[in-house]
Amino acid sequence: MVNIFYRSARFLPERAAGEGLLPWVIGVMIFLCTLSFSLTSSLGAGLEKWSESLTNSLAIQIVTENEAERDSQTDAVMRMLEATPGIKGVSVAAQSDVLALLAPWLGDIPIGSGLPLPTLIDVELEDGNALNIEALRERLKATAPNASVDDHQEWMNRIIEFAAVLRIALTGVMFMVILSTIAIVIFGCRTSLATHRESIEIMHLIGAEDSMIARAFMDRYLVHGLLGGVGGVLLAGGLLLLLANIAEDIGQGLISASVPDLSIIGWLILIPLISGTLTMTTAFVTVRRALSKML
Amino acid sequence: MIRFENVGMRYGMGSEVLKDISFTLERGSFHFLVGPSGAGKTSLLKLLYLAHRPSRGLIHYFGNDTTEMSRLELPKIRRRIGVVFQDFRLFDHLTAFENVAMPLQINGAKKAQVAGHVEELLEWVGLKDRMHAKPPTLSGGEKQRVAIARAVINKPDLLVADEPTGNVDPEIAKRLIHLFSELNKTGTTTVVATHDESIVEAVGAPVLHLNKGELEKQRGFKYQPYDKAVHAAQGTIDGPAEQSRRAAILQGGKQDG
Repeated sequence: MVNIFYRSARFLPERAAGEGLLPWVIGVMIFLCTLSFSLTSSLGAGLEKWSESLTNSLAIQIVTENEAERDSQTDAVMRMLEATPGIKGVSVAAQSDVLALLAPWLGDIPIGSGLPLPTLIDVELEDGNALNIEALRERLKATAPNASVDDHQEWMNRIIEFAAVLRIALTGVMFMVILSTIAIVIFGCRTSLATHRESIEIMHLIGAEDSMIARAFMDRYLVHGLLGGVGGVLLAGGLLLLLANIAEDIGQGLISASVPDLSIIGWLILIPLISGTLTMTTAFVTVRRALSKML
Repeated sequence: MIRFENVGMRYGMGSEVLKDISFTLERGSFHFLVGPSGAGKTSLLKLLYLAHRPSRGLIHYFGNDTTEMSRLELPKIRRRIGVVFQDFRLFDHLTAFENVAMPLQINGAKKAQVAGHVEELLEWVGLKDRMHAKPPTLSGGEKQRVAIARAVINKPDLLVADEPTGNVDPEIAKRLIHLFSELNKTGTTTVVATHDESIVEAVGAPVLHLNKGELEKQRGFKYQPYDKAVHAAQGTIDGPAEQSRRAAILQGGKQDG
């Protein structure tokens, strides 16, 4: 261990029993913390991206058993939509596509089997549209009484709710890991204080102030925190890159939208510094508190 | 300059190990502290070097009442006290040089000043050629001298030594007492706890005699220059030129040669 600053008296031996493991334990904690942090932030960003892409489209469904009625309502709706500003494109789904959507529930049904099928109209909205869905619903009701609008909101809400719970859980994990790291540092410090009690006593008797003694521990724990932080972040960074590659290969919906955003890797550089500061501050508070109970 | 008034001391809730201790140590005086095992010598020394608080009574150091002092104020008094522990209590992972330098470093001395001063002092105790050795490789006498050098490097106002001659042969013991006498001549009040009656008799300095936690008698308890007695007891180890050179080192000046 280096004596980082001349300011810290080297009264602690360079290698203390058990302390060698500390950077490893801190490293594991930082790895878990970095993963939780990255997944939390990319889940949020991914969800936003994904819901943005879904709000650019909506579906209109016309359900009636009367085929002539359905076709006339379809024509009326198409005309109305084409005249509505903010709509980029409109298309009626082919019967084969509708049957494919129903296949999981009804099995394979041939076209022309006499089964009354709904008409599905796929509406693509212009970017940054300000289409009032409620107003559209009202106008649709007037144009085609059997038409309804599905703007994906209902099931989007469920996913958003799930993602919010997941984010809370991950944030909870992150805080628990941080608290565990603090607890480990406190435990390590107390063990060091007990191991070096005699040296501390000598330092006091030759006139050292508490701050001098605490600085020696602070410097040591700063190094433990930095080393653990760098190790943990490297490991987590590697895993995130791997996940990003796999997700890119899958390239589907929420998965691809939620892959760790590589721009956060820049922020990961800060984590060892935060880890070092955390371990150093914890050591400082623990040691000062213990020293205040000595003469 | 150091005054104990009706001082009592106990460990935890135990009975008093020191009772009604009262004495005054004048500046530049030299005293022996004697008494049988269990008499309370170590406890009295702990009070002297501020490792323990009295359970009652008053202790004045250099005009300050330390019994009322907060622990945050103690370091500045402790820096004026040099302690030679019976078991040396050196830092085993540091070299002799680094051990001796520690009080200077604590006192905020600059790195360049530390080097020169420590080397001079190690030369004074005859360990210049061993200054890069670590305590586990030093003999008992050498460790003792490192401990003494560490205790005196800040030119303390009070030097407390616990059985400094207990672990060394008679020749080294004489030499150590001689070192203390040289330091004492520079104005440092010195208290040496010892079992060695022959040294006490030979030196003839005032004696604090402890028995069952009480000061029994204070033989010749009046400050007297005693270096003459020391030299008579041990024979002259060094010539006058060497002695004045060492005195100059202790006072922080350069040696003459």
